[in-house]
This record gives sequence, structure tokens and C-alpha cells, in this order.
Amino acid sequence: MKTATLAVSFFAAAVSNVGVAQTAPSAENGKVIYNKWCVYCHGAVAPAEGPGALPGTSALSVKYKGRLPAVLEERTDLASEFIRAVVRGGLFGMPITRKTEINDAELADVIAYLTGEKQ
Amino acid sequence: MALPPNTSEAEFASALAEFAAVVGNDWVFSSEEDVALYRDSYSIYWGEPEERVASAALAPANVEQVQQIVRIANKFRIPLYPISTGRNLTYGGSAPTLSGSVVVDLKRMNRILEVDEDRHFALVEPGVSYFDLYNHITERGLKVMLDVPDPGWGSPIGNSLDHGVGYTMAPFRDHFGSHCGMEVVTPEGEIIRTGNGALPGSESWQEYRYGVGPSVDGLFAQSNFGIVTKMGFWLMPLPETFLTGTVTVPRYQDFDALIKEVSYLEDSFLIGMPRYGSPVRGSDFLGGSPAVGRLMENGWPSTDRLEDFVRAERLPAWSVMLPFYGPEETVRASWAAAKRRFAARIPGAAFQDGELSRLPLPRDVAERFPLKPNVGIPALEVFGMVARNPLTDSDPSDGHADFFTFVPRKAAAVSEAARVLAETYAEMGLPPLHNPFITPINYYSRCFIVATVVPTWRDPVKNARSRALFSRIIDRVAERNWGTYRTAPAFQEQAVSKFSFNNNSLLRFQEKLKDSIDPNGIISPGRYGIWPASMRNRRA
Repeated sequence: MKTATLAVSFFAAAVSNVGVAQTAPSAENGKVIYNKWCVYCHGAVAPAEGPGALPGTSALSVKYKGRLPAVLEERTDLASEFIRAVVRGGLFGMPITRKTEINDAELADVIAYLTGEKQ
Repeated sequence: MALPPNTSEAEFASALAEFAAVVGNDWVFSSEEDVALYRDSYSIYWGEPEERVASAALAPANVEQVQQIVRIANKFRIPLYPISTGRNLTYGGSAPTLSGSVVVDLKRMNRILEVDEDRHFALVEPGVSYFDLYNHITERGLKVMLDVPDPGWGSPIGNSLDHGVGYTMAPFRDHFGSHCGMEVVTPEGEIIRTGNGALPGSESWQEYRYGVGPSVDGLFAQSNFGIVTKMGFWLMPLPETFLTGTVTVPRYQDFDALIKEVSYLEDSFLIGMPRYGSPVRGSDFLGGSPAVGRLMENGWPSTDRLEDFVRAERLPAWSVMLPFYGPEETVRASWAAAKRRFAARIPGAAFQDGELSRLPLPRDVAERFPLKPNVGIPALEVFGMVARNPLTDSDPSDGHADFFTFVPRKAAAVSEAARVLAETYAEMGLPPLHNPFITPINYYSRCFIVATVVPTWRDPVKNARSRALFSRIIDRVAERNWGTYRTAPAFQEQAVSKFSFNNNSLLRFQEKLKDSIDPNGIISPGRYGIWPASMRNRRA
């Protein structure tokens, strides 16, 4: 029984992997990646500015002064190419992110999360 | 596209093909777009010919692949530049010291091989970040506490090999000092294990670091003698509680007595890292209040003027926050003993009790805890100090270059270092950031750091000004016989040149080792001024 379960699981995983390559980016996985890599600077926990603020959220709060949300996950205007350019090229204090950290598929997932319906 | 030195395009293509046969095509990064991801985001030469850039990058999955990469590099005489997480921003990031080097990106080697909560150690690979190790420990409820630097995305291996630091008790704050056991791929592709790791099948590799005979571990930090692929670290048992207490003293001249008493507590292992402050300065980081600015308008004030200023402001001259770790009974007793000692030695000393926290902190409390690094919680909040803020809103910098100089644990030395830095800024036509109320950082428990932060840019004109300032600071502090403990590749040569005792005998010794251990000069040529013989004429 155990062997059979493993075989089914392996098959399901194989199908799933093929599916990932052929289907649209996953906003669900994008949220996981966002929480692993982005949230430490761009999260909503902590004050928007001042002591204890997160650097990305704080910087955007200073920059937009309420015209746009300082928390990225609350934005509805982010363009895919802009997100890609900032992640790969850095912007002000935000450094470049390499593909060994967030690969292209994962970046597509993050973009899907930030540009789509947040969960 | 950059090429490795003395390598033709055809030779490089052959080498890349051999590298790809080892790591797989997906893990060889050689397109212009991919190689650009290995630029130093905070480079003080961004976009200029002197910017240090890679020719390609490789991401091996295991130590065997690292060995093969090293052998291929020897065959083609191609310099390699290993990085762990590549996040030591302000110290070079993921960019090589020598342009044209092939970066060996160890991020994929990210296994946490062991965390022992009874013997209090961890064994990890280079791609493991502090975030990874913290999550591993907290998810399993292991009863150990990490010591973390400010940027949690760094790695225990990378940070310790760069002589990086943390915030808890003295033996753990020195991350290289708290390591126990290394695995290293030598420049010839052989694996060595240090300390008790050299005993085949040793069960105490992470418990006794010297083995027998000479210890060579120090050779692999801030250097280019091998590629470290595993490292053990001693961890602090998770304390039952964390308590802080703050001491303030009224007069400017009380600083020396305050330091002496704090040093007694620190060297007796009764406190973790003390955090000095100056209420009268009116700012937590460099600069100061407008009143301090006015005080500085006529040059460095006399001691009498400083005492008058402190009295007029009606604020304590100095403060220090003391962290205590352990059972509630002992931390409360230690704080009580500390108060008794300060009160007996410094007239007017005042005390503020901090809150006692039970560890581990619940997750929701940990996320908002204001002293995360003090209880081993990795974060990135420190970047808030250099991110866009109301003062820099019109022209935020693109990065920063940190300069830390080490001075003796004495008030006079701190004041002198602050004055040297203030004079250097003035000499360069810049408003002084430093004043007589600058406080030291005590990462390394036995000496003080006095710091400054220089902005870096993606604008060459602005970067030229920052370079001139940074270089001048290195020279000025060296005139006082002080040095710095790490810096970006752009300044490593200059920083090392100040450690010149006996006609640079230390560097010459390191060069002899380099020639013997790495005869083809393939590992990180030029890192911290150590060039292989074939490139030694590059030294300024």
C-alpha cells in the first residue's frame, strides 16, 4: 500500500511539474516567494515610518506621502515589467536579486501575485 | 562582456563548456543579462571602467562540483570568486575583486546539516541564510538562539568569513570566533576538514576546533586560500528570559567611568552587547540635534563648553542599554548588581528598568520586537537607516559604503576618532556628521568601533566625491594608527596597506602562502590585497 501511495504521489508530482512549465504563473506561489524574500523590507508589519519601520515600506511612505499605498501588496498599479526591472536591477537601496535566489519562474509568480488578486 | 585576464574568447568558451558539463547548462550564467545580476548593487564605481564585474557565474549544487570547478579553473588559469549568499552589501556584494573572474555562487548549497540543541551547535553550507537557519530552529522549537547580524539575508558562513558580527553575548557576537570546524576545497581541488574534522568519522567536529597541530582556519577568512563548503558554529542555549536596563549619566566627563564599568560587566560575561547612546545628542545615529549643530559651528568645543551645553540642555550626556540573558532570577540579580556598581562609582547615575521577555517570543511578538538582533531574530530593518527618509527624500542614495575604525575602549579614543572624522568631512568641504557626543559600537567586545556611512550612487560624479571622502578617511585614521576591519574591494588594497609593520611583513608572509597554496592564483586574486605572484604588479 505504501509503495502504491508513493508511486501515485510521484506520478502526481511529475504531472504537476509538467503543468507548471506549461501553465500561467502562480499567484499562490508568488505569495510564498514574496513572504520569503520581499516581506522583510516591504511588509505591512511595523510602523510606516520611524523606528522599527521596514525599509521598503518606509521609503515608499516617504516617497508617495499617501498618494499611493506604501505597502506593495496594497498597490493595484504595479506593471509587470517594472517589477521585473526593479527585482533584477535594484533601485536605490534595494539590491539586485540573482536567479539563484529568485528564478525567472518564481519572479513571474511574484509578479502574478502583485499584479493580480491578492489572497 | 568581460573576459578572464589573459584568456581568449575561444578558451573561455571551452572553459564554460567544461563548467557546464559539471553543473549543468542551467547553472552557468554567461549572458550579459545574467552576468549583470552579479554586479555590486552598491558599487562606488558603478558604470565606470573600474567597476569590478564578473565574466560569468556558476552555481554548483555540491562540494564535488566545487572540486571539479576548481580543477577546470586551474586548467584554464581562470580566476574564481566564491560567494555564499552574496549579500555583504557595502563590502562588495556578489561582485569579484578582480574583473573577469568567474563567480562561484554557492547559494544552491543550502543544506542545514545539523542543529544540536543539547550540545549547542549547527553545521551548515554556504547558501544557508540567517533567515533559513532561524526558521529551521523556530519551526522545530529547538532550544538554541542564533546570533545574527543586522542583515538577515546574509549567511553564517559568509558573514563569519568576512569577520562579521552580531548582537548577543560576546563569544557569539564574533561570528568567526564562534565557528568550530570547516570543510574547505583547496585551490588544487582537494577537500580538507579543519580541527577535529580531520579525524575520520569524528563525532566532535563541532565541539573541538583545534584538532592537533597548527590551526589554519583563520587563513580562510577575508582571504583567497580556498572555498569553504561547510562550517560549524557554536550556538547559545536559548535563554529563559531577556531583560534590558538603561543607565544614564549626567556629565560629559562621566563617559570614561561609564565605559569602565560597562567593560567590567561585559568582560565578566554578565551582559550582552551594550548599546551606548547620548540623550543630549538628540539622535540615535550620527548627526545630532540642531542644538548640537550650533554647538559645532565654531569648531570642536572645549570640555568646559561641552559640560555647559549638557547642563543647559537638561539631558543626560550619555546612556547605555544593557541586555541580560538567562533565568529570571539571574538576570534580575545581574541588573541589580549592575545598578549598585554604577551608583557607587558615578554620581548622578540614573536607571530605567526595561521589560522582561520570556524566550522564545511568540511569533506575533517577535515580528514587532524592537530589539530583534538582540534576541537572535534576523531582519532587514537596519536598511531603514540608509533608505529614503524625509532628509534624503529629494535625492536618496543608491547604496552606502560603511567605514568602521577600531579604537581602544576609552572615552578619549572615541572622542578623538569622532574629531578625526569630523575634520576629514570638513577638509572635504562636507558638513560634519560627527560631534563630541558620538557613541561607539561594541560588536567586538574588547574594542570600540567608531563608524561613518558614505553614500554610493549610480551617478559617477557623485560617486567620485564619495570615493575621495572614503579614501581620505582611511588615510586620516591611519595617521592616528587606526585601521578598519573590512571594506569593499575598491578600498581593500588601501586598507591593507596601513597594516604595514616591519615593511609589510604580514602581507609578504601571506603572499608566500598564496604562492604555495594557490600557485596558479585562481582563487579570488587580490582579495584583501593578496595577489598571486603573476599579478602582483597590479598592486598600487
